[in-house]
Amino acid sequence: MANRLGVLKTILWLIVGVWATVTVFRFANGLGATTALNDATPWGLWIAFDVMAGVALAAGGFVIAAVVYIFGLQKYRLFVRPAILTAFLGYLAVAIGLLYDLGLPWHIWHPIIHWQYHSVLFEVAMCVMLYLSVLAMEFAPVVLEHPLFSHPLFRHIYNILKKGTIFLVIAGIVLSTLHQSSLGSLFLITPARLHPLWYSPHIYFLFFVSAVGLGLMTVVLETIFSGWFLGHKIRAELLSGLGAAAAWVLGFYAVVRLADLAVYGKFGLIFSSSWYGELFIFELAVSAIIPAVLLAIPKVRRSVAGITVCACMIVFGMVLYRIDVCLIAFQRSETLAYFPFWTEIAVTAGIVSGATLVFIFFVENLKVYAENPSSEEEPKRSMVKSSYYPTTVNTLLPYRFLGPRSYSLMFVVGAALAVGFLPSSAIFGSRPVRTPVSSPRMLKGYVVPRADGFGHEFILSNSASQAPTGDAPTFFLKLDGDRHGRFVLFPHDRHIEMQGRTDSCVKCHHMNLPGDTNTSCSECHRDMYGITDIFEHSSHVDHLGGNDGCTTCHVNPSDVKNRQTALRCAECHSEMLVAGSVVKPNKEGLIGYALGYKRAMHDEFAQKGFCIDCHKEKAAQAGRSPKGKDHALTRCDACHRDDISNQIKTR
Amino acid sequence: MKLRANNSFAILTDTTLCTGCETCVRACKEKNNLGEDQPRLWKMAIDDLSATRFTSLVRRAGDHFVRKQCRHCVEPACVSACLVGALKKTKEGPVIYDASLCMGCRYCMLACPYGVPRYEWSKAAPTIRKCDMCYDRLIKGEQPACTLVCPEKATIFGTRQDLLAEAHRRIDRAPNKYQKKVFGEFEVGGTTVLYISDIPLGFLGSKSDMGDKPLPDLTWAAMKKIPPIVLGVGGLMAGVWWIVGRRMKMQALEALSEGTTASEGTTANEPGDEKKDDESSE
Repeated sequence: MANRLGVLKTILWLIVGVWATVTVFRFANGLGATTALNDATPWGLWIAFDVMAGVALAAGGFVIAAVVYIFGLQKYRLFVRPAILTAFLGYLAVAIGLLYDLGLPWHIWHPIIHWQYHSVLFEVAMCVMLYLSVLAMEFAPVVLEHPLFSHPLFRHIYNILKKGTIFLVIAGIVLSTLHQSSLGSLFLITPARLHPLWYSPHIYFLFFVSAVGLGLMTVVLETIFSGWFLGHKIRAELLSGLGAAAAWVLGFYAVVRLADLAVYGKFGLIFSSSWYGELFIFELAVSAIIPAVLLAIPKVRRSVAGITVCACMIVFGMVLYRIDVCLIAFQRSETLAYFPFWTEIAVTAGIVSGATLVFIFFVENLKVYAENPSSEEEPKRSMVKSSYYPTTVNTLLPYRFLGPRSYSLMFVVGAALAVGFLPSSAIFGSRPVRTPVSSPRMLKGYVVPRADGFGHEFILSNSASQAPTGDAPTFFLKLDGDRHGRFVLFPHDRHIEMQGRTDSCVKCHHMNLPGDTNTSCSECHRDMYGITDIFEHSSHVDHLGGNDGCTTCHVNPSDVKNRQTALRCAECHSEMLVAGSVVKPNKEGLIGYALGYKRAMHDEFAQKGFCIDCHKEKAAQAGRSPKGKDHALTRCDACHRDDISNQIKTR
Repeated sequence: MKLRANNSFAILTDTTLCTGCETCVRACKEKNNLGEDQPRLWKMAIDDLSATRFTSLVRRAGDHFVRKQCRHCVEPACVSACLVGALKKTKEGPVIYDASLCMGCRYCMLACPYGVPRYEWSKAAPTIRKCDMCYDRLIKGEQPACTLVCPEKATIFGTRQDLLAEAHRRIDRAPNKYQKKVFGEFEVGGTTVLYISDIPLGFLGSKSDMGDKPLPDLTWAAMKKIPPIVLGVGGLMAGVWWIVGRRMKMQALEALSEGTTASEGTTANEPGDEKKDDESSE
């Protein structure tokens, strides 16, 4: 029994270690570096699970408080303290999870003084904040019972809090009602983006009812796990009572959910929405229908195994409900998918593990599970002794290894593993993914004057059919470096003719690799956006005679030997700079870096560079202004075409 | 917030005049110092808007170019969603953003029916980025950079009233050329960035037909219920507690008068302490 707890804590400390490392990099390098969030999916795992599911999972606190204090069902009093503690740690976990997700977490206090009360999120923030305080005050008496707080001032506070219990309970229930439902209301403003099977003008009611059902079951699960790990006796008859209540609540929830669809005429969507309909059926079945039916059977809910299975189904299903609303059934982009990075999962798991460790700490040191809290005697039931004296070493662990030593070891191991597995974007900051450039493809076609007299039309031909005007065919290069469907159709032959035939190759192909006459652009400009390093040091060393040749480039021996102090490429490779070249590389700047392909083709901002300058000149020469619908050559779309464009005709 | 919308500034884009030159895109990038774009992977590949691109051209089949930018709605969903009020609807028309208030919750990104606000994911201290209709220029009496530079006058600036009139005039003059509506006149409560077009522009929003109801009204309908819920739930709980408490007390007094101790399992510490109840329904 005690061994199980030791093993659990060891594993939890491992996860916490991983979490610690990820935390460092999350705050050092931002969201792009450590999450898979993007503009199409602004809310991901951290909101869907940590915040939305987390708040729902902590609903046990107010539900049990209502059962015991409002409805007077004293036999469930045993559950109150652990449920309040679970709820308190749960909401604390939500707040901590939020600090990770917010882009500017140091502004998290802003809603306290900046009130934009039309926002549902404002209401959620306020209620969660107030409820966290209420939970702290509800749990404080348990802490204050510890002999550490024997000072009369603490006794005074203790008495005040005890007297005010019912006010706290009522406040807690009101606040919980508000924010459990408001988490659903968040999505009222997105009717176009939330799938109609989940969107409802009454979504707040569905969220509230599901939270009540879930709350009952988290109390059950928490009791079972603490029984398993801490050796408490599980009172099956009490759990059965909670199970019966849950059966009613969940049955009601399922009926309301389906009725809501029917009232708004959306019932048919269940069967006609492809996999969304299947997801809906699965979610409703697992979260409500099947468990409600099972829990209605007395034999099932009176057995520990039966109620455990039902509780697990409900927890899974209700968490899935919230993940569906926030993430899966929410409009997403087909091209920009979202799946959480492992770092996001690590943070979520870490927060849950941390909360569990804190929970275990409280249980081991305070009278959380005592049936009779005011009694001074030690509870005899559990094998893990609740001790008032923190220096008491738990001698029940049979293996010497499990204990503080194993925990700290696992923490370090976890932290180290995380460092090892973190992607470089997390450590060095998010960087754009490299977009390799593919070489152009050759297409046969014809250049014919347009019927309306403005410019030319390109007609591609993939057969040996007759040319439209009897002209000889020409060859186009289809320049689509990153193969994303937008290309430039480049009449290579025409450009050769215009520039002076074969002597003109170097005007554009400004740097020919050894043995080559017209190195293709994509040979050096290998990335669409990023700079490519094209300098090969080793081949230069070989060519210049090994160590004897260092000073050929590193002219000044006293300088540090790096690119900046070495000779410029153009000093030896004179063909890199041709007089009258269209390419105008800066002689000083030539140190072996090739610009991104996009920039090399044209400087986007100033609209100058490789192609644009010449085109502007030609347009001016032809007397055409750079405006107008004559597809003047300085306009982006004059060259850039999509596969859907009908300017290109194929035959 | 209900504005006298028709007095506000607005932009009208006539997509039949747009040649796809992207001068407006470049002007916007220069005016706002947006810098180079990040690779395609980081942008919503469908429309190219990003933290470094506040307006983009969406190409549609048949050589149609449609400018996409913030619609500066009359009753913006993003303004209603922002819990700290970082997004504000100005009386001049534009919806502007104050990064010093922003928490980075990104609820505005979720709420916008056009998916306009974008985020600076690559930064450690990111902010929301979107078109602000060059608000700093507007209050000086100048027009936005994009409408200033358009060589075809496809995108023009004016007051909403004037531009609506102009839009309807153009549609009436050439009824076979245009779709028979001004996009943004009534949609989601009206926007100040309007379009007339020969092709349907439903693709600019999350759904082709988003209705004419302003989106903030949908949440206000729920938010309005909060005070009654607070009083109702609070009152109900207090009432039930009092009734149950009295019933317990009555039972305890009865039991006491019959000479049996009925206070099993109760302690002096818990206020409102009652006798055990065998019912297990809620």
